Order: sequence, then structure tokens, then C-alpha cells
Amino acid sequence: MTDPRVTGAVRYAQDVELEGMLEARILRSPFPHARIGRVDTSAVPAGIVVLTPGDVADLGMYGAQIKDQTVLACDRARFAGDPVAAVAAATLREADEALALIDVEYEELDSVFDAVEACDQDAPLVHDRHNVSENDAAYFGIRPQQGTNVCHRFRLQQGDVEAGFAEAEVVVEETFRTAGAQHAHMEPHASVAQWQDGRLEVWTGTQTPFNLRSDLAGVFGIAEDQIRIVCPPMGGAFGAKTFVRLEAIVACLARKAGRPVRAILERNEEWLTLNRHPAEIRVRLGARADGTLLAKEVECWADTGAYADCGPGVAQKMGFAAPGPYRIPHVSVESRCVYTNLPPNGAFRGYGQMQTVWASERAMDMLAERLDADPLELRLQNLLQEGDRYATGEELHDVRFAECLEAAAAAIGWHESRQGKGLCVLMKGMQTPSRAGIAIEASDDGTYTLRCATAEMGQGARRAISLLAAELLEVDVARVRFPDPDTDLVPYDTRTTSSRSTYIMGRALVDAVRDLKENGRRGYGEVEIPGGLDPDTGQGVASHHWHQGAGAAEVRVDEETGKVEVLHLHAAVYAGRVVNRAGAELQNEGSMIMGLGTTLFETVDIADGQVTNANLSDYEIPSFMDVPIELTHDLLERDGADVHGLGETALPPVPPSVGNALGSLGIHVTDLPISAEAVLGAVDRRAGAREVPA
Amino acid sequence: MRIAFTANGKGVEVDARSDEMLLEVLRRDLGLTSVRATCGIGVCGACTALVDGEPISTCLLLAPLVEGRQVTTVEGLGGDDPVQRGFVEAHAFQCGYCTPGMILTAKRLLEESPRPSEEEIRLALAGNLCRCGCYVKIVDAVRGAAA
Repeated sequence: MTDPRVTGAVRYAQDVELEGMLEARILRSPFPHARIGRVDTSAVPAGIVVLTPGDVADLGMYGAQIKDQTVLACDRARFAGDPVAAVAAATLREADEALALIDVEYEELDSVFDAVEACDQDAPLVHDRHNVSENDAAYFGIRPQQGTNVCHRFRLQQGDVEAGFAEAEVVVEETFRTAGAQHAHMEPHASVAQWQDGRLEVWTGTQTPFNLRSDLAGVFGIAEDQIRIVCPPMGGAFGAKTFVRLEAIVACLARKAGRPVRAILERNEEWLTLNRHPAEIRVRLGARADGTLLAKEVECWADTGAYADCGPGVAQKMGFAAPGPYRIPHVSVESRCVYTNLPPNGAFRGYGQMQTVWASERAMDMLAERLDADPLELRLQNLLQEGDRYATGEELHDVRFAECLEAAAAAIGWHESRQGKGLCVLMKGMQTPSRAGIAIEASDDGTYTLRCATAEMGQGARRAISLLAAELLEVDVARVRFPDPDTDLVPYDTRTTSSRSTYIMGRALVDAVRDLKENGRRGYGEVEIPGGLDPDTGQGVASHHWHQGAGAAEVRVDEETGKVEVLHLHAAVYAGRVVNRAGAELQNEGSMIMGLGTTLFETVDIADGQVTNANLSDYEIPSFMDVPIELTHDLLERDGADVHGLGETALPPVPPSVGNALGSLGIHVTDLPISAEAVLGAVDRRAGAREVPA
Repeated sequence: MRIAFTANGKGVEVDARSDEMLLEVLRRDLGLTSVRATCGIGVCGACTALVDGEPISTCLLLAPLVEGRQVTTVEGLGGDDPVQRGFVEAHAFQCGYCTPGMILTAKRLLEESPRPSEEEIRLALAGNLCRCGCYVKIVDAVRGAAA
């Protein structure tokens, strides 16, 4: 049996074509922060549709968690790349030519490009006020600090952290930084919109059809059921195709044109649309001389760029993942989501956890070094166990951290030698609370059609959910159909994020199949997962269940050039139960390879607020030549276990495994990516340290 | 200008500007949407087509330069080519966006080197990027197709 992926038959959003469709292009601010004056479009030829701030000033604002965006930048442009006008024309060439004929007056304003500096009292304010969104993507208590650039502050407190440090015999402290990254999904963002009798229809690559529909309804002041979102499969997304991207601009152009309009981003525009949050993380970790952890203090600054998007959620997850899978009686975490005049940052595979896992797991190895302990033993000694309460107060079940960690250690021959080797263990949260519905329709030809909002972006969700449906229906999977999600036809679902879909849709399917068997033609099932955290104390339920994993790496370093070669990379991930073996393997391998890019070379370079490497030549992503010869992984299962999502868990362990492997050689690195310069600097510092008399 | 060439075994004639790239012509005039734009600068391989059997980045090849030449895309392989079968059997894809370019590049490799080593496969495909990170299984797919 062939597959549409090998015949080229897959139709992505960029391939959607409607009769009479126009092509759109976006004009962007060249300045990182500027007041927008006159927008002169008089030179644009007749017949070209032009959208200016004046056209959108009366429309509603939007934003998944903070309502901080207008369809175009109206009063101020807040980053170099902020859309200020758009055009639609019969051909891209005409659209490009028209764009060059628009003249915009700017008055430059002071800018801020660093999240820590943006928290200074005299830093320029990116937004005057922070209004929490009504979108159900704003699902937790968001704590904007009005009059500052902090749009969310999350705090977690357990015990008395200062008392814990007072009791500690060994304390390590370090500041870690992680760079911005570009998702670099191969298919660019693409959206097509048309209006039919006052109703808006959008075909777009999105992981969040219902959140998108809700925000568009707010923009246009129409009911949500007056909007239809159709989600073709995506050529990769990794978190980038979430919430409103191009859809509001394309919908406005289509309304003004009275014709369908399509926008496909140019590659360089991807770096101006959404990246991963750069972060600064300060960790202080205290223990007894016997290795028992006593206290941990973590401060995080997540740079969300000029618009919040889901940055508050990212900062919150950074914060609640910061304690890590250990018994620590005294914990204090403060995590801030901070505006800067940089392109917006949002969801990215690993969602905040990559950043704090890097910092926390490097700190664990620093502690092991100070204690002269085996980093594996130190971790095993302190790991959370079945029935323990996490720092949030929630009780943990089906705890598999030790199993993951031991599998990772065994894979790289930890017990034979620790030289050039590093380990990491992590817990990763899943969207909580959340809700999912699925319907199944039986046809006379013996096929079953799933009505399900889960979006396909290469992660194999359609295949996994179809396999689960076939198993429950007791039919061959060839008889299960899974058409492109269409909000006119599918039941509500929170969104396709946080590696939740196979698990939650799998549960909803059980009820849907039971309902179908009772009623004959159609069955419906729904699952609602309660929970959530108090944003001021961090107490509650952070994650209905936790994704658990571990990583291990073996490296070789050229100390003359600073080049790091990863010889063997391993991830051990708790799968509970594997639904689609090949798909599960691909998710692990893909996460690890993406994690290698994060570890060794990916960074969004900024100079004076401008992205300077917005192309796939200067911004490198891993190729065949970057994959270690040994790239291995485990999918750990247990009889009777629930399905655990696998889409992201193997990414966050990669950077600390490599960083800790360098640490085993006395090369102490704190920043991602690990540049050759940083390695050479660490080699020099190691030599300096050795020269100090004992 | 008129450009006449052979696309997937059929003679075609298209009307294009002299400064247009083959990628635009294949997608717009011939509906060959397996040829996909990603980097736009010839580094990612998603727009690969075979021109007289050689893998070429069509985002950088001026359309008039294929006058009289043979252009092949995966639409022309029929679905049961050994390399396509190798990819299906090894599950060597996720989103599928880069897959056509991978298949065409691998096809040329196997013509030149019917039993390539893993190192040869990696080198031959180094100019084709897969952000989903299917590289391990793509190597398996090419080996499977060679077997």
C-alpha cells in the first residue's frame, strides 16, 4: 500500500486554491519600536487591495492569553517585523511590487531587547496595559504586573527555602541562559480565507482551530459559529502553528477584496512570526553532605518578545517544571513572562521545560561534582517515588523516573566509565485542565468517519487515533476515516499541543465507541481533565499525569577547536503503552535530533533588534551529517498502563545530557547553544583552576 | 516566453517569464505540488526535481534552462517505485513535506551506487533537510530500496 507522502499527494494549506483567489504580502516595520505616522498608499495601482492600520483600527484586539494584538500595528510598531500594512493582488509579483509603493512614516522610540533589562524600572514599556484574554487558551490565573513589562508572574512555594539553605552543607548556584530558536517547519505558515454571506471560512495550518476561531470572532465582532476553520495537514509545526498567525490579516484582506485571499510566508518572515522564548534561569540548590536535597530556588525570565501569545503559559510551565523530579522539602520558584521589542516567542516543542531542565539538570551535576558523588547515584537517591507529592502538592502515580534514568545510563555504559558521559532525568507537564470530544459516524459501506479536531502535523496523531478507534470498533484500520478537521463538523477540543492528543482522544474514543454501539449510526465521547495551579503559590494540579524521561550522551571534544562531537545519544521515555510503534520511534528520534540543534548550534541572532540570520543558510538545522552514528532510545511500557504522549519528552533531556558529558571532562558550560568559543573558554578556566595550589 | 520540455514522460509547453524559477512553473502551470518551497536558497532540498536524472533545487533553476530536457518529480514515479516502497516500509516520514525531494535524491544515488554504505547515504542526502528528524529511518529506507 502506498502513502500520499511518497507520491506527493498530500495537500497542505499552502496548496489550497479557491476560484478568483488573490495572493497576499505583508509590509513590516523596519524599526524595533516606532510610532506609526501616515501610511501613504497613493502610489499603489488601482485593482490592488491594500490593508492599512486605518482599516483595522476599529476591529477587536486579540491574543491567546493577553489581548495585546491588533490585526496590523496601529499606533506603534513593537518589533522589527511587526506587520503595518498588507496587500492582495492577482499574482505574488504584483503584490510584491505594490508593497514597495507603500510609504510609512515612523518615529523611532527607545527599545529593549533583553528580558532581564526589560524588568528595570526605567525600561521602555512595550505595552501600556495588559488585559487578560477571554480566549479559553487563557486557562489559568494570569498575573500581569501593570506598569511593567511583566505580563505574567508565576510563583511556587513549598516549605521554607531560606531555612532549607541554612540547613544545607553544600550549596551550588549558577545562572544559565538558553537562546531563541526558530521552529523551521518545512512548510511555511499558509492561510486562505474567504467570506460567504457574512460567514468567514479559513483554511489554515493550525494546531488550535477552536482558539483561533474564538480570537477571530473577537476581531470581527461576530459569533463563533459564523466562522469555519478547516485544518489541512501541516508540513511540520512544532508549536509554531498555534493561535492567530496570518489568519486575521488574510481574513481582513478577503473581506475588503470580496474575494478569497491566500498568504504564504516567505522563509525569512518565519523568524518575524514566532520563535522560542530565550530564557535566563538562576538556580540555587542546597543539600546535606550525604547528598540529600534540601532546598532549591529558581528564578526565570522568559523573553516573550513584543506580543505575549502563549508566553504566560510557557513561563508558568518553566516555573512548575523547575523543581524537577526530586524530593526537595523547600522550594521557591519565581518565573516571569517579559515583553521586549523582539519578534514574538511562543510554543515550541518542549514548551518552557527545555529551558528549566537545562538549568536544573546542569545544577544537579554541579552538586554531584561538589559532593564528589556519582551523578547517577545522586539522582537516584533523591528521585520522587510512587505516591510522593510533587512541589505543587499533587500526588504522583505510575512513577517511572528511576527506570528511565537507569535505562539511559545503561545504554551509554555508565557503569563501565563516566568519562565524557552525561545524564539527565525530567518530568514534563501535559495541558491541564483540558477537554476533548470526538464523534464517530458509521456509513453503509462499512467505514467509520472520525469527527475529531486533532490536527496532523507529522506527529502521526491521525494514525494513532485511527488505530485506537479500529481496536475499539474491532475493525481493520483501513475502514476508519479521519478527514481534515473542520470546526463546522468536529466537536470541541482544547487544542493539539503538549503531547496530549493520543491520550485524551483515546479516552474520549472509548465513550464514543460505546455510544455508537448503543445507538447504531453515531457515537460521541468526551473527556474533561480537571486541575490547574494557583499562580501565586504554585499549589494544585499542574499536570493530570506527567511525561517522564531521561537522556544520556557520550561526547568527544577537540580541545584545540572547541568542537563537540556527540558520539552516542540516548533517550529513555515512559510510553505507558505504545499505540503506533513506528510513529512513537519517529517522535523520539525527531525530538532528539531537534534537541541536538538546540544543544549545539541553533540560535536566533539579534543585532539592534534585527534578526540577522533569518534564512536556512545562516540559521542551521540538523542535517544527516549532524546525527550521531549511535542515536538510540527506549520506549518503556507497562501492562495495563495508560497511553502517555511522546511528542516532546525526548527533546529537553538532550542539552543537559551533552552539557553534563562536557562537565565530566571538567568543561563547565552554562549557555545554550554550546558554542565552540564557550567550550574553549571553559577549557581555559579548567586549566586555570588546576593551577591554583591546593 | 514559451518553454518546451518533458515533465514526467510527457511533452509540455508552458508560458513563463524568462526570470521565473522552475519551481514556480512546476507548481503553477503543471500542478506538480510535490515540489515545495522552503528555504528559497537551494539549501534544503524540498524543491528537488530530477533534471535529466540529476537532482536539482528548482527554486534556483531558471525555468528556461529546462528547454528540451527531462524533468521528473515523484508524481512521475507512479507510487510503486522501489525507493517509494522503501520509504513506506521503513516509515521514513512524518509530515511528508521533504519526502519527495528525499526520494528523488535517493533514486539518483542508487543509480550511481546500487549498494551504498550508510556514510554514502548520509553524504548523498546531506542537502535534503527534514525538520521532523526522520533521518535514521530514511537511511533504513534507502538501504531497504537498495536490497
